[in-house]
This record gives sequence, C-alpha cells and structure tokens, in this order.
Amino acid sequence: MSMRSQVYEWSNLAPEGQEFTLRRTTADLPKALTANREYDLFIGGVGLNITKPAETTATQFIVIEDIACSPTLNGAVQIRINTTDYFQNPDVTDMVGIPGLASPYPRGAPSTVTLDGAGGVDSLVDTDNILKSFDLYPDVYVLPGQTFQILYTPLSSSTLGAAGSTAVVSAFIKYTLYDGPDALIANKLLELGVTINPNNVDWYKRSLIEQQQRSAAASAAAMAATNGGV
Amino acid sequence: MSMRSQVYEWDAGRGTNQVQAAEAGQRISIFIGGFGNNITKPAETTATEFVVIEDIAVTPTLSIGTDAKIGGAVTGLANGEVRGLLYNSVQGVAGPRAYTQVRINTTDYFLNPDNVPNDGIPGTASPYPRSINFQPSFNLYPDVYVLPGQVWDVIVTFYNALGLGDAATGAPLASTQVVATNQLQCFVKYTLYDGPDALIANKLLEMGISINPGNVDWYKRSLLASQ
Repeated sequence: MSMRSQVYEWSNLAPEGQEFTLRRTTADLPKALTANREYDLFIGGVGLNITKPAETTATQFIVIEDIACSPTLNGAVQIRINTTDYFQNPDVTDMVGIPGLASPYPRGAPSTVTLDGAGGVDSLVDTDNILKSFDLYPDVYVLPGQTFQILYTPLSSSTLGAAGSTAVVSAFIKYTLYDGPDALIANKLLELGVTINPNNVDWYKRSLIEQQQRSAAASAAAMAATNGGV
Repeated sequence: MSMRSQVYEWDAGRGTNQVQAAEAGQRISIFIGGFGNNITKPAETTATEFVVIEDIAVTPTLSIGTDAKIGGAVTGLANGEVRGLLYNSVQGVAGPRAYTQVRINTTDYFLNPDNVPNDGIPGTASPYPRSINFQPSFNLYPDVYVLPGQVWDVIVTFYNALGLGDAATGAPLASTQVVATNQLQCFVKYTLYDGPDALIANKLLEMGISINPGNVDWYKRSLLASQ
C-alpha cells in the first residue's frame, strides 16, 4: 500500500464554543467566514483541521490531482507549496485561486443559496447544477520535505439573509500519496521528466525488473561460456 | 468464473436492526456492524482468493446553511427535502454527512495529511446513487488490493441524524425511531479473483503490474505463447 489515493474534505462546521475541530461530531454548527480572508483548510483555525501543517516526509511524495469548493459565496481555492502560490494572474500577481464555479464541490451543486429564517419565506436553493470547467492537469507535485497548504477564500461573507444565518461551505482535495520505495521512484520519474502517476510508477518498476532479468540472464550465459571454455 | 465482478450494497434501513439516531458519529461496518443488511461473517480472502476494490460510494450531502426555509416540507417539519435529501436547519446541511473508509486487517486506508486515519471518502465526493445533482469528484485509483488471507471491511460514519428520515413518518430521525430505506446507503464494487487467477494476480503484484481482468488475461496469453 505504498501508492494511496487520498481525499480531504473541509467544511466550516465545528462544535458550539469552538472555532475548529480535529474530529467531526454530530453537534457541529456552521462557523462564520469573513469575506476575502484566506482560510487554510488544514490549520486555519476554522472548521475541520488537522494536528499539524500538511507536509511530506523525506520518504513521501504527494501528487495533488483535484481541488474543488462550494460554488456559493463565490469561493475559490488556492494551492500553496512552501510559500509559493500555485495559481497566479497573467501579470504574476496573487489571486484567490480556482473559483468554485469552475471546480464545484459537489459536482452538480447549486450556484447560490438564499438563507432567510425570517417570516417563514421559502429560501431559494437554485435549481441549476454547476459542472466543472476546470481540470487540474498537469497535476501539482509536493516534493519530499515540502509543506503545502490549501487556501479557501470566500469573496462574500457567510452571513446571509435577514436573520443573519450562516452558510455552510465545503472544500475538497484529492491527492495520491506515494510512500517509501514508490516515493523514490516518483523522484526518479521527476528527474526523467515523466509524469508521475500510478501507471508510470508501475512501468518504472517493471522496467527495473526486466533490466535485472536481462543482466541475470547475461551473467548466466557468460558463466556458461567461461565454464565451457575450461 | 475465476474473475468475477462483484458489488455489495448496504442500506441502513434494511434488515431486522435498522440504524437509529444514537448511531450518529459511530463507525458502522457495512458487513458485520449489526445494522442494516449484514453478512454472516467478516469479509476475508482465502488462500486462493484475491480481491481488488475498485469503487466505494455512500449517500451524499449538500451544504446549504442554517435557517433556510426549504419547500416541500415533510409532515410535521418546518424544513423539508432538498434534492432528495432531508434538510437539518441547525447544522445547515441536507443529507446524512456520511463518510466511508476501507480497512484492511486493522489498518485504515484513508489518512489525513498528518497521517492520522480519517472518516474516509465523503459521500459528497463519491455519491451513491449518482445523479445530476450529485456527481463523483473521486475515483478510487489506484485500486485497493486485499491479498490472500487478509480481512477487510468497509466502514460508514454519519454525523447528521436529522438528515435521515424515519421509517414510519419520513420525519427527521428522533432518538427512538429507525431510519427508512434509501436514506443511508453504501456501495462497494470489487473484483474477486479465485483459484489460478488469484495466483496470477499475486504474480502481477510481484511484477508491479496493475491487477485488472485485462492484465490477468494478458499474463495467461503470454504463458500460452511461451509454451
């Protein structure tokens, strides 16, 4: 199990009295998000978090294959490797990343929701289904020893409606974790300029095995020739 | 029939012991968890079997927000269904907030980036059933291999009991009620390699070749050609 498909899902839900949580609970409630603020999905202090910054060890290699977020609140997701943002404007200035409208989570989600607790008026959950316009290709590589962040930025506040209700939003990352020998192979493929994916890692393993078999056969033949010559 | 495509569908509302609200937040085995439809013993491979898990999926969830007034209310409820899922106006989500994890022997397959096991794949990323409203963002690739002699399990965890409907009234699940069918489901698709094909699967694994019916057939053909 040294190549593993992994996902991480973040949402702005945490138990009452806490801004973040390390484990989902049945008592989670939505937490307010400020417009135009970046929220680190891993250690941002809001919603579901993990125990430490996401980083690869010396024997790990990560390939990020997809990122997505709720289309509502005009949210966007950005990848940061060490201190460098992956998505940039054409003038090389910072941007918020991939909009949820281009890479929605879930696929088929409505583009907007209207919350209104006052007066018993029905809220509008749009009947549209947003499909993805964006495909994260080529994939994003996180090399051994690097730290990475996924940043979610809502362009509007999560407080909506006359009663000040809080919108719930989610973000999603899909990546493959290469560990141990497979991480070494991933590094080798990177040196060779070959795309890192499970197929190519398997191909490299096969080519190593074939090479070993050929050299074993060649040395056996040489040995036989030497013995025959005596 | 030594390579067979197999599926297992679990429904929390089937069987003699259906899921109740108290099970929210608990890890439930879809094979022997004691809720919904179960099988007679833990899922395991014999010495002559090899299982390749190719897909897992669970009931999806839709993030909305608190205090939304959703039309089409279920009897006795202020808030009803949205996109086929029951809405919980307090938590602000519609659906069960369900996740599914694969466990091989005692090891969970899906981890957080800090290497701590997590709840697994969200139903929102890998929905079952798939629909226009809920399409998959996740593809289980590379596949998960269950080697001969290993025990495997698929575990479901849900966090929103109020996103599930009661079997009798359809209202959100209260503490003493049991869930209706089609409210919380999990799906596993796998291929079972048996006998000689399991041996070939092991051989392919040694060679670093992906195990799928095409490659098993290729290996058989290459054996025949070398004879």
